[in-house]
Amino acid sequence: MAHVPTANGTAMTGASSLVKSLEAAKVDVMFGIPGGAILPAYDPIYDSTIRHILVRHEQGAGHAATGYAQVTGRAGVCIATSGPGATNLVTPLADAAMDSVPVVAITGQVPSLAIGTDAFQEADIRGITMPFTKHNFLVTNPDDIPRVIAEAFHIATSGRPGPVLVDIAKDALQKQTSFDWPTSVNLAGYKPQTHPNKGAINDAAALIAQSAKPVFYVGGGVIKANASRELLELAQLLGAPVVTTLMARGAFPDSHPQHLGMPGMHGTVAAVTALQKADLLITLGARFDDRVTGKLSTFAQNAKIIHADIDPAEIGKNRYADVAVIGDLRETMTALIPALTAVLAKGRTDLSPWIESMNKLRATYPLGYDTPADGALSPQLVIERLGKICGPDTIFAAGVGQHQMWASQFISYEKPRTWLNSGGAGTMGYAVPAAMGAKVGAPDTTVWAIDGDGCFQMTNQELVTCALNNIPIKVAIINNESLGMVRQWQTLFYDSRYSNTSLESKRIPNFPMLAESMGCVGLSCESPKDVDATIEKAMSINDQPVVVDFRVHRDAMVWPMVAAGTSNDEIMIARATAPDWDSQEL
Amino acid sequence: MAIHKLEVLVENEPGVLARVAGLFARRLYNIDSLQVGPTENSKISKMIIEVSVEGHSLEQVIAQLDKLINVIRIEEILEGAISNSKHDTQPDYQN
Repeated sequence: MAHVPTANGTAMTGASSLVKSLEAAKVDVMFGIPGGAILPAYDPIYDSTIRHILVRHEQGAGHAATGYAQVTGRAGVCIATSGPGATNLVTPLADAAMDSVPVVAITGQVPSLAIGTDAFQEADIRGITMPFTKHNFLVTNPDDIPRVIAEAFHIATSGRPGPVLVDIAKDALQKQTSFDWPTSVNLAGYKPQTHPNKGAINDAAALIAQSAKPVFYVGGGVIKANASRELLELAQLLGAPVVTTLMARGAFPDSHPQHLGMPGMHGTVAAVTALQKADLLITLGARFDDRVTGKLSTFAQNAKIIHADIDPAEIGKNRYADVAVIGDLRETMTALIPALTAVLAKGRTDLSPWIESMNKLRATYPLGYDTPADGALSPQLVIERLGKICGPDTIFAAGVGQHQMWASQFISYEKPRTWLNSGGAGTMGYAVPAAMGAKVGAPDTTVWAIDGDGCFQMTNQELVTCALNNIPIKVAIINNESLGMVRQWQTLFYDSRYSNTSLESKRIPNFPMLAESMGCVGLSCESPKDVDATIEKAMSINDQPVVVDFRVHRDAMVWPMVAAGTSNDEIMIARATAPDWDSQEL
Repeated sequence: MAIHKLEVLVENEPGVLARVAGLFARRLYNIDSLQVGPTENSKISKMIIEVSVEGHSLEQVIAQLDKLINVIRIEEILEGAISNSKHDTQPDYQN
């Protein structure tokens, strides 16, 4: 897309200056909905090289921007009007903040003289989004627009990525200004440290060489830093087990013999136990989240911690770090590989007893599930077959709940940026719009949303957007007619009292008909023997979005499980069933 | 309970006080006292924050404060000390 840059000093409106700035920031697509306060910007958008995708709800725009960013590594852009348009972006911005996703949100604001008067469609969106944007701006002077847009993209995409919101008063969009795109961004209070300290690298290498039971605890930061290749090299250099968190699935190949799976509340026995029994955690872009550590005081009690992260505030936040390495993870690992090679050349600790005991655990406690006796469809089977049939090049975006955990567990991820989900915020309704954004960012790749029947009913309106804009995503609804994860907790912790978790969604709505009404192909499947053929049918349709209603049995549960607030040592592999620790030598 | 006095240089921009106060509130850090005033540079303001640290480390409070884009420098003022402990946001604590 050839685009002639606009000369600095060119006179134009603030609105044109905004659009020229977005073009200068190399935006190729944005997701949004116009409205009164942002309307001046939509006039130059009409002529812009930037593709604007008209969504059906601003939340869809925000999650689409997130999905786009997670797949491409570039900032995703969403745009909305003031008041309710802007507040509808609140959930996706909070979501992007929790998962460190670079998103730039543009919102219109009421005219500057009306700010503070409770004007029509006025909302203090800068105030509202302060806690969960990396930074935000209110622009009332049109001359500031290019600088602020340049700063917004710089902040969103550098350091630890995150969402940035730019709120622009309507009169600033309407007034005349001159377009001056800055040649560089200089923020007095923002200079992320990307180069790791050499002393810290050497300390880390020394600690690793002394360890007899090391584990690579890999978080989503490895994917953000595009450091999967370096991780593979580092991991193979040491030979130690690797665990990948929910946000890091695909950062290290699932099929690799060193990989033990996902740790955490629904992690594998091997991954959870490896962290618990390790004498050293080599923590790479992970943040000791409560869903990984379980009860913090009992987490990895005998382990020393190497904590490498680009965000200094993560160091020591939840767990003391014996060695902290602040910097870009790719640079960190690139420096650590030769440092460790040199230390290991002087003599290395025999890791084989540790590796063997972990491999034995992995073999003894593989992920699995029971098939219902009545021949009903298992949700895990559907997800497992989706992964097998569609292969490792496919992008999967999950909603939140049981289906999300199964999609993390039963699909083999071999490549970074093929697994998208709402990990930190746990945003139900994420999947469909995120898959839409992912498909826009990777149009030649098959993109599946794996959604629950509860999640799907929160944001499925974006299938209209997909159908009208040639964004042929595929959606697998794992329809257990319940808020399944909540129901699972009710089964386990509330004496099977199913308060308000039955959605009756095998009766209403009719998902295939709903899909057809939105311009998609609607399919249905409720027998194990039809699963493969249904998936293959969906895979054969590439000119329209496809929605498959997989009608599964409702009593399946996610295992293993570490109940909230308990120790990882209390991991259960099925209801009231702990692993047989006595037969394990750890 | 340990009380620490922090001198925080911030960009003199609308909303900065709200950012600092909001950060302390949402992470349950306690502000004992807070003063804001100008510096010789009209683009920079100075905040003196007395924070009582309970259940959080001072390092964590400072690191989170440093993540605010408008915060330029944080220095702990040690009463009676000859030199203060400096937390320059560039580059060690900044993200």
